Amino acid sequence: MNRINTIEVKALTKIFDGTVKAVDGISFNVKEGEILGFLGPNGAGKTTTLNMLSTLLRPTRGTATVNGHDILTEPDAVRRSIGYVFQDTTLDIELTGRENLDFHGRLYGLERNTRQQRIKEVLELVQLTDRADNFVKTYSGGMKRRLEIARGLLHYPKVLFLDEPTLGLDPQTRRSIWEHILHLNQEKNVSVILTTHYTEEADYLCKRILIIDFGKIVVLDTPDNLKARLEGDVVTLLFKDPSAIESFRSLLENKDWIRRINVVTSGNNYATMSRMMQTMPKISTNISIGGTMPQMDSITIEGKRKIPKQVQQKSEPAMADESLQFGGETCSKCLNLLVDNGGHRIPEIVKLADEAGVILESVELRKPTLDDVFLSVTGRNIREEEGSFMDMVRRHRIMQQARGRRVRG
Amino acid sequence: MVQPLSGQAIYVVLLRELKRYWRAKARVISSVAQSFFFLVIFGLGLGGFIGGFGGVNYLSYMAPGVIGMGLLFGSVFSGVSVIFDRQFGFMKEMLVAPVSRTSIILGKILGGATTATIQGIILLVVAGLMGAFTPSLAFVAGAFAAIGAMLLITSGFVGLGVAIGSTLNDFHAFQLLSTFVMWPMFMLSGVFFPIDVAPLPLQVAMLCDPMFYGVELLRWCLLGAGSPLLGPLGWLISLAVVAIFNALMVGLGTFLFSRAQI
Repeated sequence: MNRINTIEVKALTKIFDGTVKAVDGISFNVKEGEILGFLGPNGAGKTTTLNMLSTLLRPTRGTATVNGHDILTEPDAVRRSIGYVFQDTTLDIELTGRENLDFHGRLYGLERNTRQQRIKEVLELVQLTDRADNFVKTYSGGMKRRLEIARGLLHYPKVLFLDEPTLGLDPQTRRSIWEHILHLNQEKNVSVILTTHYTEEADYLCKRILIIDFGKIVVLDTPDNLKARLEGDVVTLLFKDPSAIESFRSLLENKDWIRRINVVTSGNNYATMSRMMQTMPKISTNISIGGTMPQMDSITIEGKRKIPKQVQQKSEPAMADESLQFGGETCSKCLNLLVDNGGHRIPEIVKLADEAGVILESVELRKPTLDDVFLSVTGRNIREEEGSFMDMVRRHRIMQQARGRRVRG
Repeated sequence: MVQPLSGQAIYVVLLRELKRYWRAKARVISSVAQSFFFLVIFGLGLGGFIGGFGGVNYLSYMAPGVIGMGLLFGSVFSGVSVIFDRQFGFMKEMLVAPVSRTSIILGKILGGATTATIQGIILLVVAGLMGAFTPSLAFVAGAFAAIGAMLLITSGFVGLGVAIGSTLNDFHAFQLLSTFVMWPMFMLSGVFFPIDVAPLPLQVAMLCDPMFYGVELLRWCLLGAGSPLLGPLGWLISLAVVAIFNALMVGLGTFLFSRAQI
């Protein structure tokens, strides 16, 4: 027998004020015990989707079932089936950790004995037993998060919604929260939907990843399959003299072992430059390869080889976005290549550069990450600040709408 | 969609209010002290000059009004604290639970009324120790009646606070609220002077102040008499007005809260 779907979503849509489509007809299922990640930039529709699934927000169209209960007709049963850890803390910091849990237990109608036994249990699960009787205002950010996760589990939900569970936490704490999430997922067999805009988080935790952008599902697959879409390696070339870049690119264009070439140009905008400076020497992951900040000019050229269909489709908007650029003097450029067997091609690339009289400042080789996947399927970088100007305006509008929203009681 | 009330949800929200009240010792002390200063300075200072009204000395006359002040400020601010719950996110924890908003807000109102009444009882004891009341069996009965009246008065004002807190979105409105709503209500409630000696426009304003009836009711309970203006049935009129105000405010608070944004 196949595993049961804990959540079934059908054509779920949320339109704010009749015009702003925050979530646009999405459908997907979550299996029992599965961890599904919503990956997308801020304003992509992640939280709006969670708010609809948790019955806080009424969908404009479409519906969903959670644990077999319809979100439109059985909100109470849905609420009993879910634990929701919100993006911002929702603890009462004037109460102790135990009191916060006790409050929650009573709110969900747990009997005294059950309540006390479960409070003990979830405190142990997130290793907060020693601090349970301290006021929450004395807790660190990571402890608060753990307490919230524990609270979300107290009523034994079938699904746990984690909205950006590690946002703003330091790397060690983030890692420890990840371990807790995996642990409780295995121990309780609870399904988890987590939203994140950290690709490494989605990669580490999720069995499947749903990439969402502008309210639409761009792709839904396992992390490995997603990365397999980008066969090959990413080679980043930094040039001493940026003016040589165009001619060198045309040299590379007819090599059949190169799948894609992205030219990253940064204008004279200070913010863009400093970001380039920070990220370029180490890793190219965070550079907006093909990103379309107003000052950034991105050109994507498809190689001759087969390119996954999704990639081809999605590179079009990126091209269209170029019309939005505001110009600016070019001062720094690098080339990003998706190459078969990258390690063996580096000597060849260097040789080509030598022959052409182009001086390379650095050459870098790495495996594609989910950041590259996100870039290839959406045509943009996942970090919020690196969308085009119009994207930013649009996202801002959606988020404003989504925040000040009346919720269902 | 009508959701049933949940006794446990009402209780747990009430319990939270009590715990938070009990822990905010500084707030309790400062508000009791404030009322105490009024009693001492005005009661003794002005009292020496005025003597008294309607057969009671000025301290005794003022005591029910000062208790009323504690009730008024305590209950309105307790209701307005829904702003903080929204701002600091705790509201979401309550709203995503499988209980109705009505249960949550009734718990909030009962909790606010209880804490404000506790404050009132403390002030009652303080005023009693200062000799504001004549000890007698009738007074003891009256004091219990006063506690009942306090619960009725405060739940109405918590409702008002919730209504305001559900409509306003920022803390800055606090100052405005205090200056333009609470202080006029307090000063027109007949705490310092009887309505009978006031000029007509002021009398009209006082008759429009719901707190005036609250103080009247307390005065009937604690001193056994009220303003001659309302006559011998003044206590009944006051009780009726307070009850109607209570029903309206609890209804308004619940309504505005249930359609408020988080």
